[in-house]
Amino acid sequence: MIQRLSDLHNSPKPNPPSSTTTTFLTNFFNSKLSIESQISHLHQTQSTKSNLDTISSSISDLEQLLATNSYLLPSYELRSCLDSISNLKSSLNSFVPRKKFSFKNKSHFKNPTNPIARKNVVSEFEKNEIFSEFGKNPTNSIAQKSVVSEVGNNENNEAVNEFRKSYDSPGFEDRENEVLVKDFRNTEVGEFVLVNLEGCEVRLIGCFRALFVHKLKNCRVYVGPVHGSFLIEEVEDCVFVLASHQIRIHHAKRCDFYLRVRSRPIIEDSNAVRFAPYCLRYDEIDEDLEKANLGEESGNWGNVDDFKWLRAVQSPNWSVLREDDRIGTICISSSDGAADC
Amino acid sequence: MGLLSIIRKIKRKEKEMRILMVGLDNSGKTTVVMKINNEDTSVISPTLGFNIKTLTYDKYTLNIWDVGGQKTIRSYWRNYFEQTDGLVWVVDSSDLRRLNDCRQELHNLLKEERLSGASLLVLANKQDIHGALSPNEITKVLNLEALDKTRHWELVGCSAYTGEGLIEGFDWLVQDVASRIYMLD
Repeated sequence: MIQRLSDLHNSPKPNPPSSTTTTFLTNFFNSKLSIESQISHLHQTQSTKSNLDTISSSISDLEQLLATNSYLLPSYELRSCLDSISNLKSSLNSFVPRKKFSFKNKSHFKNPTNPIARKNVVSEFEKNEIFSEFGKNPTNSIAQKSVVSEVGNNENNEAVNEFRKSYDSPGFEDRENEVLVKDFRNTEVGEFVLVNLEGCEVRLIGCFRALFVHKLKNCRVYVGPVHGSFLIEEVEDCVFVLASHQIRIHHAKRCDFYLRVRSRPIIEDSNAVRFAPYCLRYDEIDEDLEKANLGEESGNWGNVDDFKWLRAVQSPNWSVLREDDRIGTICISSSDGAADC
Repeated sequence: MGLLSIIRKIKRKEKEMRILMVGLDNSGKTTVVMKINNEDTSVISPTLGFNIKTLTYDKYTLNIWDVGGQKTIRSYWRNYFEQTDGLVWVVDSSDLRRLNDCRQELHNLLKEERLSGASLLVLANKQDIHGALSPNEITKVLNLEALDKTRHWELVGCSAYTGEGLIEGFDWLVQDVASRIYMLD
C-alpha cells in the first residue's frame, strides 16, 4: 500500500489528462470491439469452454484497465465504460451453460408443474402446523390435507417405531403401583429406560451407562451410579435419588432430586423442583461409585442451571431442599423394601 | 475488489475452516470437541450458550463452534450459520425415543439457505453403549438418502467416550471442505 502511494506521488505525469483520457478511451473502445466480435463469432460456432474462458478473461482485463485509469476519467466516461463492460458480461453469460455456478438448494421448488413436487412443497410449509395439530382431531380441512401430504414422513416414523420395537431397550414401561427392581451387577447393560410409570418404586442397583426417564407420576426412583448421562422428561410428584455424570431435567413439576453429579445439573421448562445431596446405600455402593468416578461429593447438586431463567438472580423454578424436609439415607437391596437407615 | 473477497483471500491464506457442531441436547457435542482436542471429558456440564475451539488439523486451522442443544436455545443456532464451511450433526444413537425429533431438527436445519454449501458430517455417537443403533440404521431413520443430491454428506459411527471414529469423521469433513474451498493444492 505504502509502495503504491509513493509510486503515485513519484510518477511524473507528463501527459495532460485530456490526452490520457483520449488514449485510454481509444484503447478501451478497441478492446471492447474485439471482444464484441469474438462474442458475435460465438453465434456461428459451437461455444467451447476454452474460448468462453478467453473472452471472460479479456473482459476482466478490460475491467482491470478501467479500474486503474478510473481516477483520471471524467465521471460520464467512467459510467459509460462500466455500462459497456456489464453489457459485455451479460451477453457472454447468455452463452455460458445455465447450470454453471448455481447451487441447487431447493430443487423441488423449481418444477412446480410436477404434482408430486408441489405436494412436497405443501408439506414443507405445513409441517409446523401438523405437529401442533397432530394430537387433536383434524376437524378443519387444512389439518386434514396436511396429514395426507405427510405420508412420507409417517413412513419414516414407522421405521423408527419398528426399530424401537425390535430393539426394545431394556427398561420398565407402563406399570402402576409396583415395586420394580433391577440388579445390574454382573450384567452387560448400556442404556435403561423408565417410561409411563405411576405410583411405582424403582430400584436400580449397580452401574450402567445411561438412563432415560419419560412420563413418571408419583414415583420414587432410587438409582446406583450412572456412568454417562441421565435424561428426565415429563415427571410429576416424584422423588429421585441418583448419581451420574450429567443430568438434564425437562418438564418436571413438584419433584425432589437427591443428586451426586460431576457436572452442573440443568432444568428446562420445570417448576417447583428441589435439590439435595445423594443419600443412597446398598451393598458395595462405594465400589460402584468409585468405578464410575463418582466417589467424591462434588457439591454440584446445588449448582443448577435453569435454561428458562438466564439471569443472575436465583431462578424461581427450583430451590435447595431444606435439611428438615429431606429424607434420610435410603437403604435398598434387591429383595427387601427400601427403608431409612 | 469488495471487502468480502479480501476476507476470503485472508481466510484462504491461513487455511481456516469454520465448523458448526449442532444436534439435540445430550448427544455429546461438547464431549466430541473435547475428545479430539485431547481434553478431560469427565466433567462436562450441559452447554449454556456456546464454546469455540480453535485447533490445528493437518495443515488447516479449524474454528469449531460448539452450540448448546437444549430446546430453549436451539432457536439461537441460526446466529451461527453465516460462513459455515462444515456442519457436524451429532446423534445420540442410544436415545431411541427422540430419534424423530432428531430427524425433524436436522431436516429443518438443512433447509437453511446459509448452510446450503456446507458439507455435512453426521456422527452416530455413543456406539460404545450396548443397545445403540448401528450407523446404517441411523442413516435409515434420519432419512439421509433423501437429502438433496448436491449436498456433500457422510455418516460415521463413533464414540466420544472412547474416541473411536472421531478422527475418521473429521478426516472426511476436512478433506471434503478443502476440496471445495481450496481446490486441493
